[in-house]
Amino acid sequence: MRGLNNAQKRAPWLLLAPFLTLFLLTMVLPVIYAIGQSFTKVERTGLFGEGGISSSFAGLQNYERALADDAFLASVGRVLLFGIVQVPVMILSVTVLALLLESASAKWPSFFRAAYFIPYGIPGVIASILWSFLYLPGFSPIVAGLDKLGIGVDFLGEGTVLWSIANIVTWTYAGYNMLIVIAQLKAIPGEVYEAAKVDGAGPLRVALSVQLPLIRPALVLTTVFSIIGTLQLFAEPQVLRTVSSAIDAKYTPNFAAYSSAFTYSDYGVASAQAVLIALAAFVLSFAFLRLTGRKEP
Amino acid sequence: MRARSTVGRRSVLAAGAGLGAVGAAGCSVGSAANSVNAEPVVPAADGPVTLTYWAWLKGLQVVCDLWNKDNPDIQVQAAWSGSGNSGGYAKMFAALAAGGGADIAQVEFQMLPSFLLQNGLVDLNRYGFGDLTGDYNPNDLSRVSVGDGTFGVPQDTGPMGFFYRRDLLEEIGVNAPATWEEWLDVARAVKESDPSRRLESFNINDPGNFTSYCMQAGADWFTNDGETWTVDLAGEPTRMVADMMDTAFDEDLFNTAYGAFTSGWFAAAANGSIASVITGSWGDALLTGVGGTEGLWAVAPMPTWPDTGFGSATLGGSTAAVLATSQHPAEALQFIHWMTTAPEAIDALIENSGTGWSSSPDYIGRTREEPSEFFGGQNYNQEIFVPAAQAQNPDWIWSPIYLELNDLMSNLFRKRGSSGTRLGDSLEDLEREAVTIMSDKGLQVRGANT
Repeated sequence: MRGLNNAQKRAPWLLLAPFLTLFLLTMVLPVIYAIGQSFTKVERTGLFGEGGISSSFAGLQNYERALADDAFLASVGRVLLFGIVQVPVMILSVTVLALLLESASAKWPSFFRAAYFIPYGIPGVIASILWSFLYLPGFSPIVAGLDKLGIGVDFLGEGTVLWSIANIVTWTYAGYNMLIVIAQLKAIPGEVYEAAKVDGAGPLRVALSVQLPLIRPALVLTTVFSIIGTLQLFAEPQVLRTVSSAIDAKYTPNFAAYSSAFTYSDYGVASAQAVLIALAAFVLSFAFLRLTGRKEP
Repeated sequence: MRARSTVGRRSVLAAGAGLGAVGAAGCSVGSAANSVNAEPVVPAADGPVTLTYWAWLKGLQVVCDLWNKDNPDIQVQAAWSGSGNSGGYAKMFAALAAGGGADIAQVEFQMLPSFLLQNGLVDLNRYGFGDLTGDYNPNDLSRVSVGDGTFGVPQDTGPMGFFYRRDLLEEIGVNAPATWEEWLDVARAVKESDPSRRLESFNINDPGNFTSYCMQAGADWFTNDGETWTVDLAGEPTRMVADMMDTAFDEDLFNTAYGAFTSGWFAAAANGSIASVITGSWGDALLTGVGGTEGLWAVAPMPTWPDTGFGSATLGGSTAAVLATSQHPAEALQFIHWMTTAPEAIDALIENSGTGWSSSPDYIGRTREEPSEFFGGQNYNQEIFVPAAQAQNPDWIWSPIYLELNDLMSNLFRKRGSSGTRLGDSLEDLEREAVTIMSDKGLQVRGANT
């Protein structure tokens, strides 16, 4: 740093300032506030608190209440199940799609790349509304068509609606994750392929022994994104709730925190739930990174 | 009115506030500790003011403009809040917590106590509402008052009736049921006529109808002595209704796939797989959206209990309340009083916003004084809803945990469907849970049966 004058020292901070300001105000401060709030409880005097409302330190009471709530625990179990099934299915299909589109014999690769990516451009709420109509008996051509074939399906029932949500999520994000993988595939130098060809490797062998190991970082990245995304599931169940009685107000952990805060005005428990979700995302993501990192040569 | 049909979906967009806001919204606690009603009265403004009005009444600006034209000093600007339970209230609570927001808000009767818990409403008696009470239906006033305070002006209510497809019931050979016992028989007959047909749907995600049936049967779920709440969710009237519902569920008499006035319901009502709906008077406007059924509907009084209870109950209905953060409560009350009592305002609200039953005992609305073509020429408003508005449970009070209780009851009905647990066996647990929630809110509370 000896060679830098004052202006040069200031420059990076100046350039970072707009980002840092927003990051502090919209991320760091609310997080700190939420953590503080999660240790607070409210006391009221009078029938509605008209005699005064005061807040006091609650210790771990809010966390106890959050964890004693069966519906919240059920929501955690639900997204874990969702993640165990949906994330591998999506990552697998993303990998296959990317490898197919990047294979030498692919037809119209740029058209299909764009086609697979388009759903990501549709906001989650809109996508959920569109899909809700494709699931709704009386509206859906899919349900009507299956009915004609003698197959009665209820996409919105208690046992099925979670997988109907998984379908929406996969439909939305597969194309986006596929692009990340394709970007990594494109970064593989041509010589590697040539060397494989010289060694007599066919397309399948190239995919398994050359491409897969080299796109591992992209797959790890997309898996971590998907794990975090799963824990944050909110818009899809919120929208499908209007057409499915199987979805309660605490269907996913994020939905539970939302209901606690904005429906029940119980900010202490909502903050505790939010902190727990963040911790879970942290732990799961790092566990996955450790797990995959250990295999690194 | 309860606009929770198709418009509700739109408000989902507004609900995407996300978790980051949880922290920010939490600021209320502590900072809003002192009730606005303990502070000095805000004097009327010297100059012109502009008021904001958050509601989910469509075409509300047209009504406001009628007022704005004659009152240049008090201009009212309507803004779409998103329907209450699907984001509108969330927005209002967040705004109250942040110390901003609208002057006037649409708050349903059952939600007033939840707003009071946040010290979110202005006591209108401090601004002279006491002199205006003669202009409103006394039943409605009792549900907006707590102690000496009045916290919302009744705008519209939903006295309930039995809306039914006259043609379908005639075809099956049954009459509109006069009692709940008969209602079960009619429901059985409708199901027998066609296995895919049901008399009614029941919305598991919003069991508001169950609440109203209990209100009608004479339940008083929440009472207080001025300091302590008593919760009675397992008393005799509630048991009676729960048993009736249990029978209906045991015999699969409800369509539970969708609630009334959802997209799926409209499709089912149009093709005749739903034959009736017990709902608030505002349901008439929504029924006109059922394609191809003009002239086929009729209205009968709500089924009753032979020896007990009341002739009707209410479902939905809204007040216009002044939010605690308003800088101009006096002006807001002037506008609200005009909107809820002036005949031209009532007519404009009915015509543009499809509001429910007028809270003004003097004027039900021009279009409602005449027979309706859609309802086969029946003069149902005069015939059914004028008496229904009078036949109400006068002791019913809405609790400060309306939404929590609604979700708890949803869970009961969901369990009823999945594992067959009888409602009648769950009422005491329900009461205990309700007591816990209220005491977690820092209130004094006890259970009547637990």
